[in-house]
Amino acid sequence: MARIELLNNVDHKDLRVITTRSARYGDNVWFTPTFAHEFRNLQRNYPIVFTKNPNTGKFQAVALLGFENGENLFLSEDGWDAGYIPLSIMRQPFMIGFQEVKEVGVPKTQLVISVDVESPRISETEGEPVFLPHGGSTEYLERVNSILNLVHQGFERNQALIDMLLGMDLLESFALDVELNDGSEHRMSGFYTINEDSLRKLSGDNLVILNNNGYLEAVYMAIASLSNIATLVDKKNKLLGL
Amino acid sequence: MSIEIKRIVIVGGGSAGWLTAGILAAEHKTSSPRGLQITLVESPDVNPIGVGEGTWPSMRDSLRDMGIAETDFIRECDASFKQGSRFVAWVTGAQDDSYYHPFALPLGYGEVDLVSRWQSVQSGKSFAEAVSYQPALCEQGKAPKQKTTPEWAAVANYAYHLDAGKFGVFLQKFCTSRLGVVHVLDHVRGIQSADNGDIVALQTESHGKIEGDLFIDCTGFSSILLGGHFGIPFISRKDSLFCDTALALQVPYPDAGSPIASNTISTAQEAGWIWDIGLPTRRGVGHVYSSAHTTDEQAEIALSNYVQAGNKTGGAGATPRKISINPGHRETFWHRNCVAVGISAGFIEPLEASALALIEMSAAMIRDEMPATREIMDVVARRFNARFRYRWDRTIEFLKLHYVLSKRVDSDFWLDHRRPETMPERLQELMLLWRYRSPSRRDFYEIEEIFPAASYQYVLYGMGFKPQNFASNRPDDTGPAREYIAENLRMTGKFLAGLPSNRELIDHAVQHGLPGI
Repeated sequence: MARIELLNNVDHKDLRVITTRSARYGDNVWFTPTFAHEFRNLQRNYPIVFTKNPNTGKFQAVALLGFENGENLFLSEDGWDAGYIPLSIMRQPFMIGFQEVKEVGVPKTQLVISVDVESPRISETEGEPVFLPHGGSTEYLERVNSILNLVHQGFERNQALIDMLLGMDLLESFALDVELNDGSEHRMSGFYTINEDSLRKLSGDNLVILNNNGYLEAVYMAIASLSNIATLVDKKNKLLGL
Repeated sequence: MSIEIKRIVIVGGGSAGWLTAGILAAEHKTSSPRGLQITLVESPDVNPIGVGEGTWPSMRDSLRDMGIAETDFIRECDASFKQGSRFVAWVTGAQDDSYYHPFALPLGYGEVDLVSRWQSVQSGKSFAEAVSYQPALCEQGKAPKQKTTPEWAAVANYAYHLDAGKFGVFLQKFCTSRLGVVHVLDHVRGIQSADNGDIVALQTESHGKIEGDLFIDCTGFSSILLGGHFGIPFISRKDSLFCDTALALQVPYPDAGSPIASNTISTAQEAGWIWDIGLPTRRGVGHVYSSAHTTDEQAEIALSNYVQAGNKTGGAGATPRKISINPGHRETFWHRNCVAVGISAGFIEPLEASALALIEMSAAMIRDEMPATREIMDVVARRFNARFRYRWDRTIEFLKLHYVLSKRVDSDFWLDHRRPETMPERLQELMLLWRYRSPSRRDFYEIEEIFPAASYQYVLYGMGFKPQNFASNRPDDTGPAREYIAENLRMTGKFLAGLPSNRELIDHAVQHGLPGI
């Protein structure tokens, strides 16, 4: 169970974080959330698709890491097999928290770093220290801070992308039929991708709107990323020794 | 020279008028200049009947085909999901006397003989529970789909419960703003006829003459055009179905989070039955009864007792609205250039919520067979009359089945219902056949039967009908049936685990909407 605490250099002065990528630390997920401004970095290695959050029914963009629950094909004994790791993975076990403060007597919500102290990554003996001996932030924590900011801004703006894609009919459902080298077949459904027909027929006005918001790039990055599905199939074949 | 049919005039609003307008306008491009012109005239003084809150799964298609978003419909019509009907106290009246007639077809229906298998196994499970996952979903108050399921799509086949008044208003708004239907709020003071007897135009009080090529009578009990103007006789079917009065009430929930029932509940009474329809904001409850077998006072007491028993807040005390029903239908529905849709065509007790479905079917046939010319209209009219007479007959037979299978002896009402002279002959014949085999598709002639053989199976075996000498032609061929029944058990578990409650999904749909894809 998660236990979230506001990060501070008193309670957490000796906190260390194990940064090794491994199933032992919860990295064995088959997809992870992402956002438009990360697509550029993701598209080299990961298929970018869309799926619905089961609790809200709302769409989210995700980087696909495997073909079934618990399967991360980038993960092995040797770590994570790709140069870029999605930020929603990298930020763990940290997250953005909100704190009510009073600035000049005016109540304000401040973004603060929180940590899940129950995470298997938390240690007192191994891994990266979070705070310096005299209480300042380590370089590691500084990196985490900028990742969290990117993630926070990214996800805040992402709903606008999703709404725009839905409004312009640019999302369509697809079933992914995976065929492995031994002939076995596996169908994945519940995923959505860019509707390229609609994209081709977009009006000039809509193209301008997409472009002005920086989303045209995201759309094409998502399309380009689909070639990584074949790469995932290769990884799976290799994993199964086929 | 034959006149082209270009102008449709619908008389009467309410669900019948606006559903018909929407179904015709969407298909025939009324919003474009070259499409069919549709004008709906309704009197500002005449209110629609205000009940009629149960639908069939066909309503999903009807609304979707009009271009309506399911989220909008749910929000504006106070709609909830309906997965079928539960009949309580219809057989013996004992505490445990209840069965389901769900919308989902039995698993393997049409491919294998499920009935023999179910009977030979004697699992203690009812037929509906053995062959369909839907009764279990209803028992647990589950929704028929998930928050992620796209609009109009189903996990388990479903229809709606809705607020009749809001439905008419919603459709009116949609038809006039999006489908190009012209709305005239005025009184019809006269009807102008041609020499051959066709209706040429309606004389209105403030809008002058409204001319048309085809007139659709949606005026309810008054049946102003078909019954009033053309004098088409009304055929009473009271000899088979006795109920002729309804007392209708709205009952509040104890609180906003109260569960919404996943199905209509029909509870048999001494001289009739009580409907109970759960909407998100309140329940619609009504007692349908035979005035020949009980009094209005006794009927009102029975309704009050029912409401008290189920309502912890004791919110009874409201005065029910009385509606007189004349069970039956017109001799013909389409006469000359006038066709009746809705109550103007006929009305019977809402035991299987057939009224709105018949409106959809009528409008669909008019839409699909829209005559190109006046000459062709006579051919279409004959076909329409034959088909809908057939459907009325089948509906009355199916409703009668619910009464014929009862074993209640606590009143003349129940005993009278089992007298052979009150039973349509075709139903008697079928019941004879069904002593030796289960209802099958081959028992019914039409491609689009109003009640499929599966519905008869659900009611027959739900009510404990025991066949006489049940020998399956191939006694050891029950393997496939066994597999379907096992598969149904698996699916039941899966769906129960994965589906939200009815209340949860409706609240989510109202707050956040349902996804379009």
